[in-house]
Amino acid sequence: MGQRRRVANPPSQGVAGARTDCVRVSDRKHNICMVSDFFYPNMGGVESHIYQLSQCLIQKGHKVVIATHAYDRRKGVRYLTNGLKVYYLPLQVMYNQSTATTCFHSLPLLRCVFVRERITVVHAHSSFSAMAHDALFHAKTMGLNTVFTDHSLFGFADVSSVLTNKLLTVSLCDTNHIVCVSYTSKENTVLRATLNPEIVSVIPNAVDPTDFTPDPSQRQEDRITIVVISRLVYRKGIDLLGGIIPELCLKHPDLHFLIGGEGPKRIVLEEVREKYQLHDRVQLLGALEHKDVRGVLVQGHIFLNTSLTEAFCMAIVEGASCGLQVVSTRVGGIPEVLPEDLITLCEPTVRSLCAGLETVIAQQRSGSLPSPASIHARVKNLYTWKNVAERTEKVYDRVAGEEVLPLDRRLWRLRAHCGPVSGSIFAFVAVLDFLFLLLLQWLVPDRLMDDAVDATGPHRLWRQETIVKQTKSRSHSKGATSS
Amino acid sequence: MGPDSAPGPAVPWQKVLWERQPFPDNYVDQRFLEELRRNEGVRQYRYWSVVKEAGFVGQQLSCVALFITLWLYMEQGLLSPEMLLLTSLVCALLGYGLHQVLTSQIEPGCEPRTRLADLQSAAIFLSFTFGFSPVLKTLTESVSTDTVYAMSAVMLLAHLVSFPYAQPSPPGSLSLNAALFASVCLASRLPGALHTFAMLSCALLVFALWPCLLQRLRENAPNQFTGVCVGMCIGGVGGLGTQSLGGAMLLAIALGSVTLLCPLLLVRLQRHKDNIHGPWDEAEIHEDLSRFLH
Repeated sequence: MGQRRRVANPPSQGVAGARTDCVRVSDRKHNICMVSDFFYPNMGGVESHIYQLSQCLIQKGHKVVIATHAYDRRKGVRYLTNGLKVYYLPLQVMYNQSTATTCFHSLPLLRCVFVRERITVVHAHSSFSAMAHDALFHAKTMGLNTVFTDHSLFGFADVSSVLTNKLLTVSLCDTNHIVCVSYTSKENTVLRATLNPEIVSVIPNAVDPTDFTPDPSQRQEDRITIVVISRLVYRKGIDLLGGIIPELCLKHPDLHFLIGGEGPKRIVLEEVREKYQLHDRVQLLGALEHKDVRGVLVQGHIFLNTSLTEAFCMAIVEGASCGLQVVSTRVGGIPEVLPEDLITLCEPTVRSLCAGLETVIAQQRSGSLPSPASIHARVKNLYTWKNVAERTEKVYDRVAGEEVLPLDRRLWRLRAHCGPVSGSIFAFVAVLDFLFLLLLQWLVPDRLMDDAVDATGPHRLWRQETIVKQTKSRSHSKGATSS
Repeated sequence: MGPDSAPGPAVPWQKVLWERQPFPDNYVDQRFLEELRRNEGVRQYRYWSVVKEAGFVGQQLSCVALFITLWLYMEQGLLSPEMLLLTSLVCALLGYGLHQVLTSQIEPGCEPRTRLADLQSAAIFLSFTFGFSPVLKTLTESVSTDTVYAMSAVMLLAHLVSFPYAQPSPPGSLSLNAALFASVCLASRLPGALHTFAMLSCALLVFALWPCLLQRLRENAPNQFTGVCVGMCIGGVGGLGTQSLGGAMLLAIALGSVTLLCPLLLVRLQRHKDNIHGPWDEAEIHEDLSRFLH
C-alpha cells in the first residue's frame, strides 16, 4: 500500500495523499498494524498492552490488526472482541517466544498483511521481539510509517547488551516515532539507540480500574497479609523476598505472605518456608490467571514489589487500585508511577525493604493508613487505556504527516547513524530487502491482491454486532461516511 | 498532551507519570538524563604495577618454553633422564622447603597438611607415573609424529590461555589437564620409558607445583616475586636460544609485548573508557542471602 501510494504521488505525500485517500486521512483514521512476538495466548504486560490499546483505538474508529507468530496450533486468522483481527503467522520460534530473524523470510507474509489490510502505520512492540524489528525493517522498505514501543530497560555493561543495543540503533535509526512507558525508559532507549529525544514520546501503561476494585471484606482482620504477585525470577528480586520473609515473620507473629506467580526462583521461597516452618503463614499460589489476580490482591493489606529492574511496573498500580498500601524497591521507572503518599520506596536490600515494611505495618496497626476506597479513588483515574489511546493517536497523527525515507536517504541515514561497519552491512541488507520486495511485487502485484474485509475501522462490518449498542450515538454519526 | 501541542512552561516539569502535565509527550526537559553517571568506580591503573602483574603471564610463557627446551635436549640425547630426575628432585626439595617456610608465615589458624601426607601423595604420583610410563611411551605410537606435535602445540596454547593467572593456586583443571596432555604427547616421542617418566615428573613440577609456589611468593614476598619472574623470562629466552635462535627471538618479542606493550595499551586506552550508569540499571544484590537458607 505504502509503496504504491509513494509511486502514485511521490514528492508531496502529505497534501496529495490527503486528497486521494480523502476518507481515511481527512478524518484522521489510521489503518494500524500492531506487530509483536508477544501476544495472547502468551501472558504478560506487553500482551495486555497491545490488546487494550487496540481495543481503545477500535473504539475511536481506527482500523487495527495484530500480527504475531503462531502459537502451537493457533495459526492463521483469529477474531477477538470487537472484530480485532489477529494474524498468527507461521514463523519459526527460536527462543523465549521470540522468532528467529533472517531479515528477509518474514517479508512475503508481512507484505501480504500490510497490503491486504491497507496498513498505513506499523506499530511494533517490545525490543525483545525479533518479529517487531523485522516488521519495522520491512515496513520502511515498503514506505510505511513506523512507530515502536519499548517496554523494557536494558543495561550497557556486558557484551550481550552491547550487541542488542547496536541492533536497536539500527532498527530505530529511521523509525518515525518511538514510545516509551516511563521517563526512565525514555532516557534508557535514547541512550541505547542514540536517538533524538524529540522523537521519543512517553506514554505510560494503564490499568483497567474496573478490574481492580477494593473489597476490604475479603481481608482477615486478625492478621496482616502481604501480597506479592510477580513471576518468580531473579529480575523480580525473589532472592530479596526470600530474605524478607524470615526476618519479618520472626518479628511479627500475625504476618502472612500470599505469593502469586511461578518461575525458577520458586525453589528459594520453598526452601525458606521449609527451613523456618512457615507453611501456614507463607502461601505459594503458583501461576495466576489475570482474572484471578484481583481476588488475591483484595485479601492483602500491603502489596510488596521487590523488582531489581522495571520500566513501568503495572503490578504496583494494580495493587494500589485494589486499595493496598504499596512497598517497592526504588528501581527503574517505579518512582515515577505512584505519588509518594501511596508508595513506600526502599533500596533493593533486605534491610531497607524490611524497614519500609515495618513502617507500613506499624501504620497499619495504628490505623493511620488511608482506607482502601480512598486509595482506589485516587489511583483509578491516573492511568486509563482511553488516555493511552488518545495520546498514541496523536503519535499516529504526527507520524502520518511525516515522510518515510526513500531508499537512498535511508541508506545514507544507516551509514551515518550506525557506524561504518554495521551501518554498511545493514544498508546492504536494506538494499537486498528492497530487491526482494521488487521481486515479490513482480510475482504478485499489489493490485492483484484482494483487500481484506474490514472488521474494524471506518468501513467496518462489525458494527452491526454488539459494538453498535455500546457506542450507538458515535456509530450513527460515522454511518454516513461508510455507507 | 499530544506530541506536538505547544508547551506552557508556567509550571516546572516533573519526572512523574501520575500527574498530567502541560507538556507534550515528547517534551525534553533540561533535566533529561540528569541522573546519568559516567565511569563509576573505574580503576585507575599505574603502568609499573600493571607490568608487575603481567610478569606472571610472561613467566608462565617462559615455563612452557623451558619445558619445550628440556624436551628438545632429551630428544637429542643431550640430557640423560637420570640427570633430569636428579635435578627435578633437588628443585622439588628446595621448592618444598621454601613453600613450607612461606606457608608457616601466614596460616597459623587452619589445619596444615602434614609432611607425611605430602610425601604420600608424591609417592603415589611418582609410582603411578613410573608404572605407567611404558604404557604412555607406546600410547601414541600409531599416531603420526606431526599430529602429536600439532596436538601438543594446541594443548600448550590452551594451557596458556586457560591458566588462572589471578588465582593460580591450585592451577585450574582445564589448564593443568591441557598441559599434562601435551606433556604425555611429547614424552611419548622420547627414546625410552625412563625418559618418559623423567619428562612427566618434570611436567608435574613445572605445571602443577611451580604455580603454587609462585603464588605463595607473590603473596608473601612481592619484591622477590618480581625478581623470580624476570629470572624466569631471561632463563626461558636463554634456554630456548641454545636450541633455536629464531624461537628465542620470537619468545623475547612475545614476552616484551605481553609484559611491556600490553600494559601500556591498557593504561592508554583507559582514558577512552565511557561507561554509563543510571536509574535504568538492574539493581545488584550485594548481601549474602544464603544465610537465610543455611
